[in-house]
Amino acid sequence: MPINTILVIEDDRFIGEMYVRSLQHAGYTVDWVVDGHDGLVAATGKPYDLILLDIMLPEMRGPDILKAIRGKEGDKLPNTHIIVLTNFDQDTESRIAMQHDVDAYLIKAEITPRKLLEIIANLGEKAAPKA
Amino acid sequence: MEVAPDKTAEVPIVAAVDERVPSIGEYWPRYKQQAAIITIIMQLIVASVVSMSLFAGGVPFDSPVSWITLLATFLVSVTLNLYLVNILLTPLRDMVSVLKSTRGESLSEPLANPNTPRYVRDGFTPVLQSIYDIASEKQKPNTAIAPDSLAPVLKAALHQTKMGVVIMDAHGVITFSNDAAPVSDDTSGGKKLNLLFEQEDTFMNWLQNCHDNAVHAEHTWLRIADRIVGDENRRIFNVTANYEKGSAAEVVLSCFDSTDIYQPEDNELDFIAFAAHELRGPITVIRGYLDVLDMEMEDSFAPDQKELMKRLIVSANRLTGYVNNILNTSKYDRRHLILRLGEESLTTIYDTINDDMALRASSQNRLLSVNIPADLPTIAADRSSLSEVISNLIDNAIKYSNEGGAIAVSAQVKDGFVEVAIADHGIGMPANVVGNLFHKFYRSHRSRETVAGTGIGLYICKAIVESHGGKIGVTSVEGEGSTFTFSVPIYATVADKLQANDNTNAGLISHGEGWIKNHAKYTG
Repeated sequence: MPINTILVIEDDRFIGEMYVRSLQHAGYTVDWVVDGHDGLVAATGKPYDLILLDIMLPEMRGPDILKAIRGKEGDKLPNTHIIVLTNFDQDTESRIAMQHDVDAYLIKAEITPRKLLEIIANLGEKAAPKA
Repeated sequence: MEVAPDKTAEVPIVAAVDERVPSIGEYWPRYKQQAAIITIIMQLIVASVVSMSLFAGGVPFDSPVSWITLLATFLVSVTLNLYLVNILLTPLRDMVSVLKSTRGESLSEPLANPNTPRYVRDGFTPVLQSIYDIASEKQKPNTAIAPDSLAPVLKAALHQTKMGVVIMDAHGVITFSNDAAPVSDDTSGGKKLNLLFEQEDTFMNWLQNCHDNAVHAEHTWLRIADRIVGDENRRIFNVTANYEKGSAAEVVLSCFDSTDIYQPEDNELDFIAFAAHELRGPITVIRGYLDVLDMEMEDSFAPDQKELMKRLIVSANRLTGYVNNILNTSKYDRRHLILRLGEESLTTIYDTINDDMALRASSQNRLLSVNIPADLPTIAADRSSLSEVISNLIDNAIKYSNEGGAIAVSAQVKDGFVEVAIADHGIGMPANVVGNLFHKFYRSHRSRETVAGTGIGLYICKAIVESHGGKIGVTSVEGEGSTFTFSVPIYATVADKLQANDNTNAGLISHGEGWIKNHAKYTG
């Protein structure tokens, strides 16, 4: 299933604009929210093909958003890919826990927009989003 | 020369001695007084015998010769005899003073010294020393606690001490623990040990091993916490376990609370994690916008401007690698570096850094050739860590080679491992440098002068490779170049261990640093 719509949850203005700009350039439809609470509302309010999720966010942190989406109550967004994009050096236990529930866990400083586009393209080529 | 001192009237104050037992202190002055009196009486007798003899010899009593002789005889013999008595009694005085002091009586004279020249000369030293020894041995029960009153004292002491004490039977069941011990009640009404050893069964394995093979054994584990990071009141212990087969307390764990020592380090670790986060923000923006600019403006740049862009991009990329090195080193040194080994192909791993490496080499005019056979078996690896190893080694090869130099990355199968080699034709190094190469902050004398660097790149490479269960090494010829090789296990050879070990793969690590936790979560 190809990816068309993307939600970026990112509080850093420079970094957010960078992703939005390069993703739009590549032809995706992009929404951008800057805090965790709005992020969760947006994610559950509209069906996105992909969510780019930060960890250190105001109002609600990334792991809590992920729990709300793919926690004990089951997967609320089975048709949505999630990529964690963070610069925060999480402790390994938490990182592994998050990795389990997402399609990719990336360090922002290591991922240039071009690489991100590649990763998203690969994700879209896969047969079906993970259940 | 001291003649029987006239201090006999002084009776030392006797304190805290049972009234029924006369004090030793009273004995000595009385005895010395008696000795002096007897001596004088004796000399009076001698003098009277002398005077009798003179009288019998025809010297009249009132003759001056008679009086002078009598007086001289008396004075000389009294003096000499008192002197003699004093010499003879001194050892006795010293023995008494030793006994006095050991009974806690106050001394009116200095405490006897067994090593005075006289005693050393005449051999009294060992006698006095023995009295000291016997007296001090006998004294112990007076100050120590009688056995039957020991229990409550011990109990109070265990209650007060900050050291956690846990006593177990041979099966590891806790039979006693004090207040400071890191234990909690378990579901079956007993107690369980709250210590997070590197592996859950580390301690029980040790105990089982002692039970099977040892009569007594001791083992110390450093930096063992009782709760996970972030929990309040987390304590960190140095734990020493003593095993004594058949003892009433077969296993004794002494848990020294060393939180004060380790906590600041952990806080520092948090600081480094946050600092890295802060550093990564601007790096992300720089790399990201350079990438965006490069994508959008590629066609409008002049060739020399393109070269400038390339240099900017390469430098920003390297910065990312250094931040990772710092983070990894700090985690490794504090035993927090955790790798997650999964089934990976070397080609896939290299692909994640391929563009970066190619750009880096070409911007510095090095000829990088990569030859990773497509049919290599998969390896058990942590993708991002292993890519950091490769990029560090390529970085090194670039640093220590010359413009236009060739750098070759190759891989082959060798004894159950995949061996990766990074060869340069650079300056190489003498053999005496090689031994220190993987030490932290080590930089050879020459490289200090000519090449910038921190000296942690190879150190962290070694740490990462070894926590994969692999080995890293180098061969080098000065002036001809160096070849770094590292090996990682083929996935098929360790898959069982990885999966059987409940997501940990301690079994993979053959060197002594068994603390590295490798979580092998196979998600393929």
